[in-house]
Amino acid sequence: MDKWILKFVLFLAKQLAGKGVDFERLRIITETKILMDRRRVYLNWRQKQQKENSNPLLITLLLYGLFGAFAAAIIMTMQSLMGGMIFIHSYLLFMMTMTMITDFSSVLLDTTDNQVILPRPVNSRTLFIARLVHILVYLLQFTIALALVPLIAIFFKYGSLTGMASIATMLLTVALAVFVTYLLYAFILRFSNEQKVKDIVGYFQVFMTVFFAVAFQVIPRLTDMNILSTEFHIHWYSYLLPPVWMAMLLESVHTHQLDLPHAVMSGMALSIPAITFWLMIRYLAPSFSRKLSALNNDSAGSKIAATALAQPKGLSEKLSAITCRSKTESAGFEMVWKITARDKGFKLQFYPSLAYLLVFIFVFVFKSGQDVQTLWQKLPGTKMFLFFVYLCILSIANSRIFVEFNENFLASWIYQSTPVLRPGEIISGGLKALLVKFYLPVYAILFSFGYYVWGNGIIDDFVLGFFNNILIFLVTASFTEHYLPFSRQTNTKQQSGRFAQVMLQMLIIAALVGLHYLVIQVDWLIYLLIPVSAAGCYFFLKRIQELPWIKISF
Amino acid sequence: MAIIEITALKKQYGGNYVLKGIDLHIEAGQIVGYIGPNGAGKSTTIKILTGIISDFEGDAIVLGMDVRNNPVEIKQQIGYIPEQAALYDVLTPIEYLRFVGKLYQLEDGMIEKKSQELLRLFDLSEKANTRMNGFSKGMKQKVLLISGLIHNPDIIFLDEPLSGLDANAVILVKEILAQLKHAGKTIFYSSHIMDVVEKISDRIIIIDKGQVIADGSFETLKNNAHQGSLENIFTSLTGSSELHQNTAEQFIDILKS
Repeated sequence: MDKWILKFVLFLAKQLAGKGVDFERLRIITETKILMDRRRVYLNWRQKQQKENSNPLLITLLLYGLFGAFAAAIIMTMQSLMGGMIFIHSYLLFMMTMTMITDFSSVLLDTTDNQVILPRPVNSRTLFIARLVHILVYLLQFTIALALVPLIAIFFKYGSLTGMASIATMLLTVALAVFVTYLLYAFILRFSNEQKVKDIVGYFQVFMTVFFAVAFQVIPRLTDMNILSTEFHIHWYSYLLPPVWMAMLLESVHTHQLDLPHAVMSGMALSIPAITFWLMIRYLAPSFSRKLSALNNDSAGSKIAATALAQPKGLSEKLSAITCRSKTESAGFEMVWKITARDKGFKLQFYPSLAYLLVFIFVFVFKSGQDVQTLWQKLPGTKMFLFFVYLCILSIANSRIFVEFNENFLASWIYQSTPVLRPGEIISGGLKALLVKFYLPVYAILFSFGYYVWGNGIIDDFVLGFFNNILIFLVTASFTEHYLPFSRQTNTKQQSGRFAQVMLQMLIIAALVGLHYLVIQVDWLIYLLIPVSAAGCYFFLKRIQELPWIKISF
Repeated sequence: MAIIEITALKKQYGGNYVLKGIDLHIEAGQIVGYIGPNGAGKSTTIKILTGIISDFEGDAIVLGMDVRNNPVEIKQQIGYIPEQAALYDVLTPIEYLRFVGKLYQLEDGMIEKKSQELLRLFDLSEKANTRMNGFSKGMKQKVLLISGLIHNPDIIFLDEPLSGLDANAVILVKEILAQLKHAGKTIFYSSHIMDVVEKISDRIIIIDKGQVIADGSFETLKNNAHQGSLENIFTSLTGSSELHQNTAEQFIDILKS
């Protein structure tokens, strides 16, 4: 699809750009950039195994098309035109802004042009148009993927006149999204350095991944949608919301009525994106490029950052002193603690898997179709608390696999050049860090919720569960392949090993949950099992600590 | 007494020998320059001596211990700074040195104190608490040098220690190597920068295709090869300079066509 769009946009550019643009060079620059776009690893796709010559862009676009299908379904079921149109434009604005920030940021913030293209005989106008063409092609393919199915729905439901008008309003919305993104970047660049920008982009990426993970599970299950039938009323703040302008414009097109609010908002819908777009090309983009070209060689901002970052003894140092018995172990503890807080690769994988907790609660406990109120009242009488006891271990167990990987895995030479007698202690230190950092807080939250609903009676269950979860964690760690933290290449994830590991884990969890369920029937048994489980934890921790070098895989 | 003793050292990868029988006998307190063309087996030798590669043929004794049997004890007393070394750059220099220092079983307070002071000597005080992902290659190289020396080792193995450093840092590192030698340390390093090797080494070992082809002080090598500089000696031993000239001429011809 991108080739056709490129041809189309290049054709337009040829008509409009006129003199001073070298078309052969324009074509080769944009073609190369689009080729690179295809090979870039996209956010939604990065967790999955990837073949060398697959086209991740296409899969991302298909995924967006699927989202578009959901949106189209909502338009079809929604009674009011206003509601549907506000929804679809908000959705487009949100998705395009997020896509621009998370995926396209690497292109917007790319400074390799400065080294690769600027030294070659290409004039600046050609380069500028090339950037513009590239951005347009990118935007158009995402817009088409997102909006094609909803547009068909609009044509079908509201007729071709409204359909045509909605093509215009959607393009205007995309223009606004571009402006918002540029404004955000310009703002961040104004106040900080390149590293900060990358960090902030990282946060957005984590947010987006979590959002996708949850949305995929929750949205299709929302069968009871009260919002669909609500009537729309204009408030003063409606004038501040771009999707409302677009919807108002479409409503007047559809009903052929034009009162004062409709006229004002339609005017805003047409003029504001145009004005902002002009502002952007005239002022924002040039200063943006200047800032970007300065990014590479400056280090002015970093001095302030250095003093700001200077920190006294951190939390991880204090905790490692409490939890670890040897220096090697505490080295592993602190390292895993710090890098899990900073490495984007880890955060992108772990936080979505933690977000699945919410999805599981949603699916298992609050099944759709049942009234939340009555469910809530029935809850204390059920044995549902077992869900809350054992729910988090799946996510936490994933974190153990994620810490084996790192983009910078080559740095693991350090383990081999230093006198590490028992590499198992590095692993056990890392496991302790994960337990303290992620398991304890999550379990505490789940316990608070359980205590609120079920009261004193479940304290002993949560105590047993506390040790059982750690036992599950340590047993799977002890019976699967052992890797030192951050020593594996990110792309070589072996699915086969993963599957066996998950199966083993499920088996142990099922056994322990089953046992726990039986124990609930006999009061005193639980006090016998708590020390047994705790002893099991101690035994397996020891086992991991004593792993010799020959048991470590690379 | 020899601090490093290698006898008939061979190493193969899939039947292909990269080291074809190396014998070396190195006294304590020397700076040894170990040079050779790419793929000659320099890094492999260093990895064997530092206990990282353990399957090889022949014998290697470091500090009186067999590297096959006592790798951990040896690692405790040697420092190793590999070529193009990666480090976990989301950590700050202080955090990274703390991590490495702990792997060397050093005391927390001592790691902290040494790191701060060594970073100061390398002009990195201001960056001591900044994450290293924004660092230049030279800055990372300085942190790596500190991480390989922080436990005050007796032998220091360096693979291309000067790459990426600016001129001032190169002078500083050269001076540090000289001072380490004064303190009785042994330094075993490989480099491609011939004039540095020529100036600071007590002994130069040239290997090619897994074999030692020259060994001795710079003066000895010069007398044997009848060449003026180490660069000339090196090319005359490892490849003919006429061949290089020929290749260069072809290169220009293709550009012209």
